[in-house]
Amino acid sequence: MSDLDSPSPADALDGASTVEVRTSASAALIPTIRAVASDLAARADFDLDAISDLRMAVDEACATLVDVAAPTSWLRCTFLVRPERIEVHAQVQTKHSDAVVSTDTFGWRVLQTLADEVTVHHDPGVDGAGPTVGIRLDKRSGDVMR
Amino acid sequence: MTRADPEYGHLSPLLERYAALPADHPDREQLRDELVRGFLPVAQHIARRFSNRGEPLDDLVQVATVGLINAIDRYSPERGTDFFSFAVPTISGEVRRHFRDLGWSMRVPRRLKDLHVSINSAVSELSQNLGRAPKPSEIAERLGVPVSEVLEGLEASEAYRSSSLDEMLSSEQGSATVGELVGEADAELDRVDFRQALRPVLAELAERERTIVLLRFFGNMTQTQIADRVGISQMHVSRLLAQTLDRLRTRLDPETRVG
Repeated sequence: MSDLDSPSPADALDGASTVEVRTSASAALIPTIRAVASDLAARADFDLDAISDLRMAVDEACATLVDVAAPTSWLRCTFLVRPERIEVHAQVQTKHSDAVVSTDTFGWRVLQTLADEVTVHHDPGVDGAGPTVGIRLDKRSGDVMR
Repeated sequence: MTRADPEYGHLSPLLERYAALPADHPDREQLRDELVRGFLPVAQHIARRFSNRGEPLDDLVQVATVGLINAIDRYSPERGTDFFSFAVPTISGEVRRHFRDLGWSMRVPRRLKDLHVSINSAVSELSQNLGRAPKPSEIAERLGVPVSEVLEGLEASEAYRSSSLDEMLSSEQGSATVGELVGEADAELDRVDFRQALRPVLAELAERERTIVLLRFFGNMTQTQIADRVGISQMHVSRLLAQTLDRLRTRLDPETRVG
């Protein structure tokens, strides 16, 4: 599973509080993941806008990934809670290595607006491990006022 | 119910007399009181059927009684229908409407509903003072309650569907200023070259939802700023945005979402 294998929390995640949620890659389970996202943000004392933004961003990212996920595969969502920000890695296995998440869609615009940083990662998969697509989000605890 | 009904049979002739009396007849009021008292066990029985949904039984009995009074007022015996087959749906309908108007989509204890109200007002006050959305810790301090309670209240807010008053009050207000609000965001939308035909899909949305989406994603405004401009609460903006994104997601063809 290459990238899907967790590094041990202590070394790779530099001390951030870590929560990992793994579900079937099914749209029906996304509400559970986004509930975890908003709960973590609220407990980390994010402001209400940031809590709601993170919740919607996780929703959008997961929905995007579920669309390209291989049948009967996993959706894995890791939350790294750091001081003043939360980092989210969402990832699915895809059936073909040419399945991509495009960044010229409205959905991507939504992600860019809601998160402070967002990137997409495509991994073609090596040594029999299936290809994966992941979205990484970074959300700060309060919006910098423009 | 027939005249032979041991419990309510004696009320049958009263119902007929009541229905036959002209609206301004002096006997009506007393007769109506008598009928309400007589049929009260029916309202109480229906109220009890709804009593496991987190609303106090007293409130439910009151609502059911309103339903009963409506049923007594509207019943016309000459149509030949039995009073019960008319009254029972009328009363249950009133109780159902009560639940719907409360706007809670799942069972939430009264304590949390009250907290939801106080949090809402604290949020709008704090947003004004701070010029940004408050944090749970700030809300807790303002209300003088532990942060854990605020977190609980915020979680309960997720179960709140604002289909009721908030919605009705804000819909007129929102549309009045839409033109000036979205002008800039609209221009920004034109500059973005999406693979999807977003504009027609956006055009299908209700005006206020469209405004909120444009201001958030093309006008660079935060939810709190939008709440202020459109004249609704931040939590309401948050709910509307989430709902609208969900709708857009299903409307935009998945084939074009994915490369």
